[in-house]
Amino acid sequence: MEKTAFRRIAPGAAVLAALLVFPHFVKGSFPMHVMIMTFMFAMLGVAWNLLGGYAAMFSFGQAAFFGIGAYTSTILLMYYNVNPWIGLFAGGALAALTGAAIGIPCSNLRGHYFAIASIAFAEIVRIQFNNWKFVAAAEGLSLPLLPASLRNFMFHTTKAPYYYIMLAFLALSLLLCRYVSTNRMGFYLRAVKESHEVAKGMGISFVRYRLYAIMISAFLTAMAGTFYAQYILYIDPESVLILPISVQIVLVAMLGGAGTILGPVIGAAILVPLSEYTRVWLGYKGTGLDMMIYGALIMLISAYQPKGVWGMLTSIGKRAK
Amino acid sequence: MQGKKTRWLTYAMALVFSLSMVSAGVAADKEIRIGAVYPLTGNLASTGLDCLHGAELAVDIINGKYPDLSLPLAKTAGLPNLGGAKIKLITADTKGEPRNGQAEAERLVTQEKVVGMIGAYQSAVTKTASQATERLRIPYVCSDSSSPTLTERGLKYFFRVSPHDAGFARDQLQFLKDIEKARGVKIRTIAVLYENTEFGSNVGKQVLALAPEYGFKVVADISYTANATDVTSEVGRLIRANPDVLMHASYITDAILFTKTFKEMGFHPKGLLTFAGYIEPGYLPAVKADANGIIVRSTFALDLAKSKPLVAKVNALFKKKYGIDMSENAARSFGAPFVIADAINRAKTTEAEAVVKALLATNIPGSELIYPWKGIQFDPKSHQNVYARGILVQIQNQKYVTVWPFESAAAKVIWPFPAWAGRK
Repeated sequence: MEKTAFRRIAPGAAVLAALLVFPHFVKGSFPMHVMIMTFMFAMLGVAWNLLGGYAAMFSFGQAAFFGIGAYTSTILLMYYNVNPWIGLFAGGALAALTGAAIGIPCSNLRGHYFAIASIAFAEIVRIQFNNWKFVAAAEGLSLPLLPASLRNFMFHTTKAPYYYIMLAFLALSLLLCRYVSTNRMGFYLRAVKESHEVAKGMGISFVRYRLYAIMISAFLTAMAGTFYAQYILYIDPESVLILPISVQIVLVAMLGGAGTILGPVIGAAILVPLSEYTRVWLGYKGTGLDMMIYGALIMLISAYQPKGVWGMLTSIGKRAK
Repeated sequence: MQGKKTRWLTYAMALVFSLSMVSAGVAADKEIRIGAVYPLTGNLASTGLDCLHGAELAVDIINGKYPDLSLPLAKTAGLPNLGGAKIKLITADTKGEPRNGQAEAERLVTQEKVVGMIGAYQSAVTKTASQATERLRIPYVCSDSSSPTLTERGLKYFFRVSPHDAGFARDQLQFLKDIEKARGVKIRTIAVLYENTEFGSNVGKQVLALAPEYGFKVVADISYTANATDVTSEVGRLIRANPDVLMHASYITDAILFTKTFKEMGFHPKGLLTFAGYIEPGYLPAVKADANGIIVRSTFALDLAKSKPLVAKVNALFKKKYGIDMSENAARSFGAPFVIADAINRAKTTEAEAVVKALLATNIPGSELIYPWKGIQFDPKSHQNVYARGILVQIQNQKYVTVWPFESAAAKVIWPFPAWAGRK
């Protein structure tokens, strides 16, 4: 028994240890950037997974929460001089409230209809921000450069603090997702996913739990949004609120394996480095070859392994036993 | 967890992970590495490549011996003050996204060891890329982004050679004043139409702010998304507003779509004054004679050769290398490499502080430029070229001809805008 427990924990601990020491061995800023983006999309995928993976609410509108997070903390910092760490929670709370506000009318929608509603919602938010003078409309906001410190959530000469912050965010999201999936809420959500009618018949208030799922997902997504703003130091609707971000989030989760805790992490670990490095190696020639390779890989995995890479790994694991 | 399939998969994943560890690029001696970030894939790919070609030709001229060209550093091979060191352009693709602008600028500086940066065409991308070089203390010379905000940030390492949209908007309004005087016509109302990203909105903002100063009334203020597939409602609103003149800031695909929709719906103002998209190489072939009469802001036109023989010589070299005439985009991007190479040459080093000092002392005379300017000198505070200004070109018989300022015009401006019917 002890041995199996060890075998179960060992790989995870090894990966975590490797990730913790990574910045000490890799000095280049680009590999660090790729890792940070990987963590960020992994976190976004985990947040999406709570909706799409567990509760069958296929949200294609996560960019709205991401953007709300990025804009809230930035506006608070720029106009009201509020510390970005407070902005982080303010953004999360605002996104969760927004999620609840749209969740109430939308939580009865199923499958495609929820997906369509989520796209419409995100587009409304994008267009609103694109024309809203208070948030500098399409011009976007450049964050003021503050002295580098953890307190200011801003670092100039090294990416290592960003790396650790994002890693911590990701760990937090994973723990939350694990907690949800192994508790009553996770079972309820899965029951609703399997059959609305049966779950309802058993007395599960699926609207309430779906709302919780939306709010948690929105909160985490907004956290990543604030991180993005503090990391890139410039936001505009074109970079934080557009549909391709929502799609990328869905891709990460679906490719890795929706409805599993680690699936989105694996999806991000494959997709983000792939897109970044194909751009570096092939993009500078302007042939578009990088996009073709990227697209071909997604098609291959979705055609041959619709359960995602995680699904592939577990099915192989089961067969081997 | 055994079996061939698993092992194969493990290898594949290990490979993907290990990519993150790879770092490349060791700088060779006597080679000055300059980074160039452009959108080389995605819907701005053709524009990005066009810009890159302009910059590449400039580097060829700096590195080679061109005794008959009066451009900076053309007559000598490489940079004479650094023992003939050659410029090497290291290119990177931004896909047109601000996030990649930052990542690529950082990668070029830290891994490819570039000592200067040029690019990135889209103002939003230039913003993040130049913020990255500012933090890493690397000089950035931009000659292809036109958002006024870029030089309002007070950056120490960022310089802009080309004019910005506030200047361009002023040029267009001044042109309207000039034409009123020259033709004895009266222009009262203008409509402003712009794509809603950073570039277009800024133009819109400038026109809205400046129009009253010139005595024009803005009767419609319409923004739209550049990748729209149908613009009939926007054009409908324009028709209802019935302005004397339309000012339109667009990228290329929307320029084509609007031109077609204007014609279909019969929107016919007295003047069609435009920005950016209407001057890209793909525009004219797509709309042909329907483009005749449209006026575009520019920094460059091939017919400047009439007063500047240098323009024809440079265009001949461009055509030899890429098989097409030099576009405005290529011409704008052509400027930055000379400015940065000239500064490094005078500084006699690639050390950033010395190069910035040299950039501030830049004084390139108008005779060494392909643009119709007095020269290049940077404002000590904003780092904007004080002599940069725009020209207006009009599409006449499916060719771009300079029509304003009147003194350097190659042809008389056609006014008012010719009828849609009977074009061929």
